[in-house]
Amino acid sequence: MTEKNTQDVEMTPLEEVYAKRKKIFPRQVTGIFASLRFSGVMILLGIYYLGPLLQWNGRQAILFDLPARKFYIFEWIFWPQDFIYLAALLIIAAIALFLVTALAGRVWCGYACPQTVWTEAFLWIERKVEGSRASQIKLDKAGWSWAKFRLKFTKHFIWLSFSLLTGFVFVGWFTPIAELSERTLSLELGPWEIFWVLFYGFATYGNAGWMREQVCMYMCPYARFQSAMFDKNTLVISYDEKRGEPRGSRKKGSDYIAEGKGACVDCSLCVQVCPTGIDIRDGLQYQCIGCAACVDVCNEVMEKMGYEKNLVSYTTENALDGKKESFFRPRVIIYVVLLAVSTLALLASIAQRVPLGLDIIRDRSSLYRETDEGMIENVYTLKVMNMDLKDHRYSLAVGGVEGLLVKKPNKGILVEAGTVVTYPIRIQVNPEYLKAASTKLIFYLNAIDDDAISIEVGGRFLGPVFN
Amino acid sequence: MSETSKSVPKIQRIVAILWPSFVVSGIATILFFTLFDPVEIIACIGGSDISRMGYYSIGFFMFWLLTSLNSVLTCYFLKPCSK
Repeated sequence: MTEKNTQDVEMTPLEEVYAKRKKIFPRQVTGIFASLRFSGVMILLGIYYLGPLLQWNGRQAILFDLPARKFYIFEWIFWPQDFIYLAALLIIAAIALFLVTALAGRVWCGYACPQTVWTEAFLWIERKVEGSRASQIKLDKAGWSWAKFRLKFTKHFIWLSFSLLTGFVFVGWFTPIAELSERTLSLELGPWEIFWVLFYGFATYGNAGWMREQVCMYMCPYARFQSAMFDKNTLVISYDEKRGEPRGSRKKGSDYIAEGKGACVDCSLCVQVCPTGIDIRDGLQYQCIGCAACVDVCNEVMEKMGYEKNLVSYTTENALDGKKESFFRPRVIIYVVLLAVSTLALLASIAQRVPLGLDIIRDRSSLYRETDEGMIENVYTLKVMNMDLKDHRYSLAVGGVEGLLVKKPNKGILVEAGTVVTYPIRIQVNPEYLKAASTKLIFYLNAIDDDAISIEVGGRFLGPVFN
Repeated sequence: MSETSKSVPKIQRIVAILWPSFVVSGIATILFFTLFDPVEIIACIGGSDISRMGYYSIGFFMFWLLTSLNSVLTCYFLKPCSK
């Protein structure tokens, strides 16, 4: 740690925006974990780029329609009033992340985090254009030439095009993508849509092309607090020091034990493949995103040498120390219970959700009015939101004060599917029954054709007080 | 410059101001516009006709400006006082 600090101080005078950082050229790696990450990347990118194309009942299946203030998720339509579900969903996602972290460490970082996923895609493009790690390093060291310019230009051109596509699809999650594509082709995009395509595209290019591991190190809150979820039974990537040390090169087939050496051949491949540029043999470090590239490459080397695999491996602290491992520990049980309870609660509340909303707005211009008959009258505007998929006619009833008269339509209030109707009503009360300046009223609204769709909302009736 | 700010990479300092404020302004934007429909507010007070997307975007950047101001002040007050 002290060594690292001195390095930082030494490099400070450079004052470069992205620097005090050596560019990392991760070497390409093959193996079981690399394949796992590749499938993860393909599935997640597939969901991202193809998701908005899914159709459901003639509309985009998943659409967070911000301009219309409605979220469509297959059969469901969510309104701003349903915000609580989104909050609950985020809580569930957070608990799930805690559980996964406690069990398997930073698998989120290594396989599923958008930062990892897009960085992998950008690395793939970089390798296709500039070649292997060695040729990339050579190219960066070389002076500017036409060939270098051409390669760099091609790389950035592909990166930028890919980023623009990413930005476009991002906006497509929030405004219908079919319509968005048509308007793009006829050059009729709105200024804000263009802005967000560029903004998100630029963020993709910057984060996946330039910032890369620095996002994990400096920007990610999860990377900072994930260690709080760790215990001695959490899977981490670890170098078996007892077996590996003392490291050193040797001839293939030589008796390294007799030479007094450990199993580590000191080939430095584990450092070359690391996307965050660390040496796993120095122990667990916060920069390690748990991608297991070093596990894959070391196993390849061990196989070639004819040694036992897993010198670097997914393992737990307890396993390394030769202690007993336990899977169901209190931490895990608590997370599982929390996760189950919150998921069930969310599903139950969505199942019981009444697709009807009612806002009651009292007329602002006057507190109350006395009619010719000596009644006290209040005027309200009702906003009836039909959040169901079909039209409904609703009947309204008001209670709370004796002898209350509601001036309202007889036929009920018709509201088409997915729309809001504003409706003015007048309520009259005999002042004899008013005991306070403000009296609570209850508005009951229910669908005439479906008894299950009914809600009640409180309101206020204002009047004079006669003591 | 103090020892602490010297040992922190510049990118980390920039990120420490812009990034948390970005995240918080995102949350603030979601909460604010879930509660209030910008089109209705503007209809009440009278204003120009920008699309909802426009109001959301302006709202987001207003929040970002305020929250980054907050981060800047926090960083400023973290600097040791001169004698």
